[in-house]
Amino acid sequence: MSTMTAGPAESTLAAADFDTLAGGLTEPEAIAVARAAAWERFTALPWPTKKSEEWRYTDLTKVGFEALTPVVPATATAEALSADVREVLGRSGERAGVVVLREGRVAHLELEPEVARSGVVLCSIRDAADRHPEVLRRALFEVQPGPAEEKLWALHLALLGGGYFLHVPRGVEMPAPIHAFHIVERAGTLSSAHSFVYGESGARASVIDEFLSDDLDAETVSLHGATITGEGGAGIEYVALQRFGRGVKRFSTQHVAAGRDSRIVTFNVTLGGDLARTDVTSRLDGPGSDSEMLALWFGDSDQHFDHHTLQHHAAPHAHSDLLFKGALTDSGSSVFRGLIRVDKGAQLTDAYQTNRNLLLSEGSHASALPNLEIEADDVRCSHGATIGQVEDGQLFYLMSRGLTRRQAERLLVFGFFDEVLGRLPMEGVRARVREAIEEKIGL
Amino acid sequence: MPQNETITGLGLDEYKYGFVTEDQPVFKAVPGLSGDIVRQISHHKEEPEWMLDFRLKALDVYYSKPMPKWGGDLSKLEDTLDEIYFYLKPQDQMERSWDDVPQEIKDTFEKLGIPEAERKALAGVGAQYESEMVYHSLKEQWEEQGVIFESIEDGLAKHPELFRQYFSTVVPTHDNKFAALNSAVWSGGSFVYIPKGVKVEIPLQAYFRVNAERMGQFERTLIICEEGAEAHYIEGCTAPVYSTDSFHSGVIEIVVKKGARFRYTTIQNWSNNMYNLVTQRALVHEDAKMEWLDGNLGSKLTMKYPSCFLVGERAHGEILSIAYAGDGQHQDTGGKVIHAAPHTTSQITSKSISKGLGRSSYRGLCKVYDGAEGAKSNVECDALLLDEQSRTDTYPYIEIDENTASIGHEATVSKVGDEQLFYLMSRGLDEAEAMAMIVRGFIEPVARELPLEYAIELNRLIELEMEGSVG
Amino acid sequence: MSRFVTVARVDDVPENGTCGVMAEDLAIALIRSGGEVYALEDCCSHEEFPLSDGEVEAGEITCLLHGARFDLATGEPRALPAVMPVRRFDVRIDGDDIQVDLA
Repeated sequence: MSTMTAGPAESTLAAADFDTLAGGLTEPEAIAVARAAAWERFTALPWPTKKSEEWRYTDLTKVGFEALTPVVPATATAEALSADVREVLGRSGERAGVVVLREGRVAHLELEPEVARSGVVLCSIRDAADRHPEVLRRALFEVQPGPAEEKLWALHLALLGGGYFLHVPRGVEMPAPIHAFHIVERAGTLSSAHSFVYGESGARASVIDEFLSDDLDAETVSLHGATITGEGGAGIEYVALQRFGRGVKRFSTQHVAAGRDSRIVTFNVTLGGDLARTDVTSRLDGPGSDSEMLALWFGDSDQHFDHHTLQHHAAPHAHSDLLFKGALTDSGSSVFRGLIRVDKGAQLTDAYQTNRNLLLSEGSHASALPNLEIEADDVRCSHGATIGQVEDGQLFYLMSRGLTRRQAERLLVFGFFDEVLGRLPMEGVRARVREAIEEKIGL
Repeated sequence: MPQNETITGLGLDEYKYGFVTEDQPVFKAVPGLSGDIVRQISHHKEEPEWMLDFRLKALDVYYSKPMPKWGGDLSKLEDTLDEIYFYLKPQDQMERSWDDVPQEIKDTFEKLGIPEAERKALAGVGAQYESEMVYHSLKEQWEEQGVIFESIEDGLAKHPELFRQYFSTVVPTHDNKFAALNSAVWSGGSFVYIPKGVKVEIPLQAYFRVNAERMGQFERTLIICEEGAEAHYIEGCTAPVYSTDSFHSGVIEIVVKKGARFRYTTIQNWSNNMYNLVTQRALVHEDAKMEWLDGNLGSKLTMKYPSCFLVGERAHGEILSIAYAGDGQHQDTGGKVIHAAPHTTSQITSKSISKGLGRSSYRGLCKVYDGAEGAKSNVECDALLLDEQSRTDTYPYIEIDENTASIGHEATVSKVGDEQLFYLMSRGLDEAEAMAMIVRGFIEPVARELPLEYAIELNRLIELEMEGSVG
Repeated sequence: MSRFVTVARVDDVPENGTCGVMAEDLAIALIRSGGEVYALEDCCSHEEFPLSDGEVEAGEITCLLHGARFDLATGEPRALPAVMPVRRFDVRIDGDDIQVDLA
């Protein structure tokens, strides 16, 4: 089976039915059926309101989903790299492969021949659907989101077609990261892309997803999902660097499954968009597994960033460590709501969760909800949250050295972020993230 | 398992003072809730018209509000409510002297283990027995100072204007479903007024028991601490063990005026079938200080989050909380601090212990409004798990709209450390003693705040039971 | 400088009653008590909830969500859980019209 060339006819989400969304696409039965079911669920469910705990601080009913034009990506194309992408790549050090997605459609995909020869597969999610429908179906369509997240997840799955698939075979260590660019160009659209990363036993992989757009003059929504799975002893590093322009509202749902003795690092950097909601769930499935969950954000103007996390300890002897740090200025606002859940029997769990917030301006505000649910007794769990300002002493010191208040403040924010940046293992990725933050906060 | 024996040895799970004295209520309403019951209560209490209206309106609000879906499992409560007696009155008259207190009630105090001498030393005892104050005496000097310490009913009857000025302004009827219920059927509780500048040296103690099977207890307490005044109020409750579900839903309203200091201590040890749903809240003005010291033991489910609304500059709120969830119990407790003025400060310290299938949850709120410059709040929650099956949760809400605020929250969960245990045992303690010492050490930062010098039975529950019952 | 805008008819607001109106994207609760008409921002300062659904008594309005009470003349909170005032507007009656000062 192969994908067709023509994309589906376009209409607003309100007027769309599944046939128009799927029009012109052929896909394996398993995926087609699952997508249709997701669409049914999406249309049947009401939008969650601020009454649900998950959306208490982000009013989803104020996003004009109904008026957006859904985009279901069709065939991958093989475009040349655009200048902006080339420019970023030119400054990002070594890489094992590049993917460029436009509204989810794979526009460019390359993998170093040497890496390909080692058995690593990098392809569009649509090609993967043809080749490994069952793998995809299980990884995506069997995820059971919470009731308040179900509507958006169902929409993501119904629109599924964009994104990439990375599979690293047993024992293969990728020498450098895959760098993917998720580009949104069309204002007023609703698009969706999925990052699928799978490492077999002992595999090593590193991926950076970079999300970008110009400032768009109409409300535009980008849905994103990631499934990151590490089998026994695998090591995966996943970075999502979000630097959309204004006008874009972004919803990303990331699921990590960590097998026995695997180590998975996720790092979300949120800089752009009008509204960004990021949900990261790390499921520690195997004894000895280790999940490090990191995030940084810098919100200005009236940006609103909402983060929800779950560290789910389903196996004993696992370790998870979360460090989310954010700084806000102007009327920026942010939310951190994190849960450590330790199942019965998940003894010898070590789980930590830290959220720190800097409020740089009078109009900024932050909420923190660090939660614990512990059903095993032999555990070490702790969480901490702080909300405060930069220290006056440090500020005055820097100002006495000739920096303006703004410069001093930004420098201190950078110092505040450094603790998290320092925990990124790959130097090239670290440099790219540092650069993007510098650009945003204007050092 | 030796560990289990040890903890059982601490005696926290069983209701130690569970006993039943034969109740002889003068008036007993039919079980269940209705407008007629509310009218009867109001009529019986010879209340003014406005209070009857207030109660009837509250009943409608209660019916209109849905059962909370958060916190503990309340699904079986609605059935229980049909069987509850919403009002009982054991005697017609308030007793003024010890000699007049009926022998049966004296027996009750006896069984609670208050020595005669200590009883007399107690400065004033507002005792609530089956929803009414039955024993109430005040030291003369307090009356001279203008301190009012009455049953809530007498407060309404004797000080109607003062009462009406503050009643329901701290916890309004609509606040939550159970505040509405309490507003409809409240009975018993204290009315306290500390005049400007008066410092009450000896704690005011209210002391009550719930005693009739299936009886709901809806105590209502209103406390006004005027400018510069200082007082400490202690309340403890125990309940005998019964087989059917029981229900307690109190409302405590406290106003702490400019520069005043007030401390409210509660130690509750309900029987294991009790739903204990309490709204207790303080309005704290400029330079005033409010402290809640809250100990929750027993009950089937307790939902209780003492709150400080810091509305004046430099107001300070403090909440110290101990929860012990034994087998089959759920302690859903915590605290709320609302910073609405500059330079307000607060501290919440919570210690919880879960044993067997017990579950303890910390639920808290720290809110800082825009304009509360320099507000500082610190929250520390520690949970100790004693068994593999025990559960603990932490659900804090931190909402900050003021950038000059400084807010910290920390929580840890741990089990009793083997190293700690072995160390103590190597020093000659048996395992039971060692375990008790560790638990005692765990709660000590909060327990040391208890007024041991007025160690009536309920205060002993934490300190003496833990220390004394082992071995 | 005041800027009065007609938002309702006098008959729209009964004694001890309310009327929620929109005036230039502002939700306003008109409230009549003791013959006077008052105008407050139609949103409780505790949690978002329209005050125009509330109950009026003795110069105060009670929010039905959690029972917060506000002084009609000043917008100041009179009962917890509200601790912050709601915005108030000057009101004038012009013939049959109720006008609110949006300046």
